[in-house]
Order: sequence, then C-alpha cells, then structure tokens
Amino acid sequence: MKFRNLCLAVVGGSLASALPAMAQPAPGTPAGQTSHLDVNQLFATTCGWCHSDGGRVAGKGPQLMNTKRSDDFIRYRIEHGKEGAMPAFGSTFNDADIDKIIHYIRALKPEQP
Amino acid sequence: MNGKQRKTALSLAVAMGTALAASTAMAQTIDSKRIEANNPNDWLTYHGSYNSYHYSGLTQINAKNVKDLSVAWIHIPGHSTRGLQSMPLVADGILYYSGSYSRVFAIDGASGQVLWSYFPELDDALVARQTHSPYNRGVALGEGKVFVGTVDGRLIALDMKTGKPVWDTKLIDSQKLTIGFTGAPLYVNGEVVIGSQGGEWPVRGKIYAVDATTGKPRWDFNTIAPTEETKKTWGNDSWRVGGGGGWMPGGYDAETNTIWWGTSNGAPLYDWSGPDWMHTGARPGTNLYISSVLGLDAATGKLKFFHQENPHDVWDFDSAVGEFLMIDRGGQKYVVHPNKGGYIFVYDRSANVKNVWPISHNINYVKSIDPKTGELIGRRDMTAGKQAELLCPHISGGVSWNSGSYDPKTGLYYKIGNEWCMHLDIVKTTPVTEPQVQLNIGANFTIAPPPSGPIYGHLDARDPITGQTKWEVRFPEPPLASVLSTGGDLVFVPDTRGTVHAYDATTGKELWNHGDGTGHQGGIISYAAHGKQYVAVVAGFGGMASDDYAPTFGGVYKSMPRDDGALVVYSLSK
Repeated sequence: MKFRNLCLAVVGGSLASALPAMAQPAPGTPAGQTSHLDVNQLFATTCGWCHSDGGRVAGKGPQLMNTKRSDDFIRYRIEHGKEGAMPAFGSTFNDADIDKIIHYIRALKPEQP
Repeated sequence: MNGKQRKTALSLAVAMGTALAASTAMAQTIDSKRIEANNPNDWLTYHGSYNSYHYSGLTQINAKNVKDLSVAWIHIPGHSTRGLQSMPLVADGILYYSGSYSRVFAIDGASGQVLWSYFPELDDALVARQTHSPYNRGVALGEGKVFVGTVDGRLIALDMKTGKPVWDTKLIDSQKLTIGFTGAPLYVNGEVVIGSQGGEWPVRGKIYAVDATTGKPRWDFNTIAPTEETKKTWGNDSWRVGGGGGWMPGGYDAETNTIWWGTSNGAPLYDWSGPDWMHTGARPGTNLYISSVLGLDAATGKLKFFHQENPHDVWDFDSAVGEFLMIDRGGQKYVVHPNKGGYIFVYDRSANVKNVWPISHNINYVKSIDPKTGELIGRRDMTAGKQAELLCPHISGGVSWNSGSYDPKTGLYYKIGNEWCMHLDIVKTTPVTEPQVQLNIGANFTIAPPPSGPIYGHLDARDPITGQTKWEVRFPEPPLASVLSTGGDLVFVPDTRGTVHAYDATTGKELWNHGDGTGHQGGIISYAAHGKQYVAVVAGFGGMASDDYAPTFGGVYKSMPRDDGALVVYSLSK
C-alpha cells in the first residue's frame, strides 16, 4: 500500500507541475540513463486494458501478480510483444524502464478491501 | 404438369430471371446510383445499402425451408490474427472480403473459387506496437475498384478484376501517431470516405475523403476541435491530444448529399473531472466533436449539423457505431443511430432529436436521457480513485460496434443489447506522445456482472422509432457479430460460441442453427449468384471485446483460437 500511495502521490505531483494536455517527456530514455517512469500510472495509461486491476487479475492479458515467469521472459515480452496479444514496447522503454516495470510486477499485492 | 413440376418450373423461371438480372448488372459500373438502387442480388456497401438496413430482400431461403440450409463452401484466409471481423461484399456474383492485415480476397460467390487475393506489405514494426490491430472490418466497392484501409494509415484501391493495386495513398503518420484504419471505407459519388482510429489515443482523429479515381485526398474533417470556436470546448489546450476519430463506416443521405458519421471518445478515456467537468479534469468542457454524430457535406466535408450524444464523454460510450438507419414513416424521415452506452437515438434528417430509448437494461452512467432533447439526465461524473459502485454498461458497450438489421416488411429493428458492468479505479494520467503516441486510458478496470444477475446478451425485435419490444431472445454471453434480416422472414444471429441461429422474424422462434467451429464477431450478408441465394458469415474470434470471454466465461472460450477464422457460406441443400 505504501508503494501504491507513493506512486499516486508522484502522479498527482506530475500533474500539478504540468498542464493536463501537455505531453510528458518520453518514458523511454537512452540506455544507461535512469528511468523516470511511473509504472502505476503506466498501467492506468496503457497496460490496464489487458492486464486488469493493475495486473492483479487476468483480463485480456494474463494476471501478472505472482507470475512464475522469469525476469528475462518478462523483459523479452515487453520489448518484443506477442502477435495479436501484446504490443512491442522495445522502442518505447529503455532497460531502466523495464527494470522498473518488472519491479512493479514483483511487488504486486492484492488490494485491501 | 403437376403441382411439384409447376413449382419447379416457377423456381427455374425466377432463378433464370435473377441470373439475367445478374448478367445485366455485370455490365454496370458500381456508382452511388447503383448502390442506392439496392439490387438484392448484391451487397455493395458495408451496411448493405446507404440506408444501413443490413437487410436482404431475397426470399429463396425463407422460414419454411431454412431447415434445409447447409454449408455450400468455406474459405480459409489464413493468418487471421484476432479472428475475422469484416463484412463481405458482393457484386455480380463475386464476393469480396478482407481479413487481418488488410488481406483482400475475391471469390466466385457460387463455387467458392478464389479469383484473386491481395496481401499488402505493411510496416511490421508499427503493427507490432499497436493495440487495436491488425484486424480489418471490411472493404468498399466503386468504379471498378475495391478499397481497403490499413493499420499503417493507408487507403488502397485494387482493380476489381485483377486485384492489382491502382493507387495507394498514405493518409496518417501512423509511425508517429500509432493509429491507423481498421474500419471499412464508404464509397459515395466518386470519393472514398474512411475514418481513423483515435478514441483513447492522444491524437486528433480525422475522417478522410479520397478521390476514387486518382487516390488524391479531397477533404478531411478533424473530429477534434477543427475551429477556434470548438477549441474553447477543450480546456487547457487539451484538444491537442483529444482522441476522437471515427473508426466505423457511416451512412449516406442521397437526398441531401450528406454523409452521416459517428465519432469516437476522448483521451484520456476516463476523465477524473467529477461533476465540475466544464472547468476541471484532463479535458474541461464539452469536447467537440467527440462522441457525436456528424452530418458532413459529401462534396466538401463541411459540417452541416451535428448532435453530441454524450457531451464530455468520460465513459467510452461513444458514437462510433456506424449504423444510421434511414427510415421513412408517417411522412417523417428519421435517422436511427445506436450509441455504445446502450441508448438508441432517433433523429430527423438534420440530427434534431426525435426520441431516445434504451436497449440495454443495465445503464447507470446516466439516470436517463431526455427523449425530446437528448440531454443527459443525472449523469455520473467520477473523480479519481476506486469507484464504489459498478459502472454499467461495461467498456465493450451496451451496444457493440457491429450492426443490427431493419426489416422494412415487419417494420422491426433487430438489435443486440448487452448486459455487463465493470469495476473501475480511475487514475490520473498524462498523455504520452513521444517517441510514439501511447494509449491514454486513465483507469484500471475489471469486467463484472450487473447487480441484477449474470452477464448476458439479447436480440431484441423493436420498433426502431418508439423502442417498443415485439420479442426478445437471450444469450448466455453477449453476441458480438452483426445481424441479418431477409425477405424470407428470417433473422440471422451469429453468436460468440460459434453457432449461427435463424429466427422467425415475426415471432422470434428459432428455426435453424449451425455451428461454424469458432466464435463470430463480424459480418453476415445474403446475396444471389446464378439465381441461387447464399448467406455468408465470417467466423473467427479475438480482439478488444472478445479477448475478455475466456477469463470471464471459461467453457468453450478457453480453447477458442484467437488467430484463426473462416468465411462460411450457406445455401439450400434441396
């Protein structure tokens, strides 16, 4: 819950400092640089249509919480996608971004009622 | 000559007459006058005719003999990623249809023999990045050409006889904007009209018209704030990333030379504005022209009139559904248009509201819609955070994008309504436009049954103007495909489990069904070739709505492929 609250706080902060319609900086930065990606926001922006409830339950895509897939598998799938099922994000996210996404997935817990 | 012989002779005479009509038509080019004439042997445009009836006047297959309907031939297009979603077209006994990746086929409508095929070379790297892709929902015919859009932003014309490209026009910078074309084009008076994707994509979706002969763009209409005045309906310059577009083909009113087109929702899809949406949130204001029906001058693309069905749409209950039924009754000329929120809007021919009625039973994004003005009553505008109450209908719609059917003989509109809801957690987002545009949803969500019971769908036979129900047939899972009614007193419904059903158009009694082996989520038509009537339906599952079926319903959907499909064509076996 702390992680989630922190993410939401960051989301709120980023909005407060930017006009709603302004495009944010590219989530993908050159390899070797740090990631500014807010993964919680990313799921609500892009991933959540298929990975329901922030990745906690299966939807069009598989449940990500408690996945048995390896980090390497997840990284490959994010970079290359899967035809007809998942877009490829290799040109959008750098290594540091994908590290953050994997960390988010590993930290997923059921939401408190 | 006994009775049976007389009947056979009569049938042969009718068949010969039909064949004669077909051979006569063979010499005719396809223009708007021929499409308007609506020869029942053909199916020349996506909605069957400019009046969007999805109705065939053919009577050879009818309520008495439909029990003898069986498979005449099948075509497997291959590489049907996310199934088949297109509406076949037929001219002069030849069937034209598209599959995933905008692959186009021309097939002899009687024998099933492939006459030609065309596989466009697409930008594979772009396609791999897209979410609403690579399905294609149909082609258009006109002036000896077959027109098809592509997910990498092109409109292509093919020679009807050979399948060779005549022109190939790039209309969208899809590499940057990520969106393209999945919907069928509409041929009208020497031009080809097609609407782009948009919606929850932070872009400014457009409707384009291209010269049918040369492929040169004629006009386009920006569905997001095309004028300085309409930019004022988007606070904080949010029009720059507003979404919109119009991804399904609309209709055409020949009397006034007006194209009717429905537009998609805004981005972010779910705004966190709350009740003060005119002044706060991601896109303060009414957001013209998202979730609207537009009347565009066919020659110039100028806006003649519009009605915004859901001002400041924060539910993805858009107006992109392409049906615009042109119905004349009692001296009044009506246009009937379903909205994804589960309401059916009835207009006059200038988009003045004449009635609004709900086809879905579980709707809570508004308390009601004023049937006299179209004003939303008791609208539900949410703020960020987990919503305590379900939102109904589900994002896949109280009405899906596929079409119903209007039978002018019964005067009934056969239309699917869906009953499903969703849990919703609205999250503030910021649009991502670099290096390529990304989806901007603004929420996490899961599908859920309505408070009143399980998810289901229903085929309704309704008066299209008043909404009065004549009969209803229920399905355990919402059907997603189009509906066909015919002069043979039949209504065909292809369901998601893979069965095609035929119902008595007057009573709703099921008269026939047949399994196609996989779920349906595309078109169904009827046509005649060499004097024989056929019913053609596409089968093949997978996509934005149907991908929810396996995790939600299990059963047959767990093993149903989402990369397969077939065109199945039926005729009478006796």
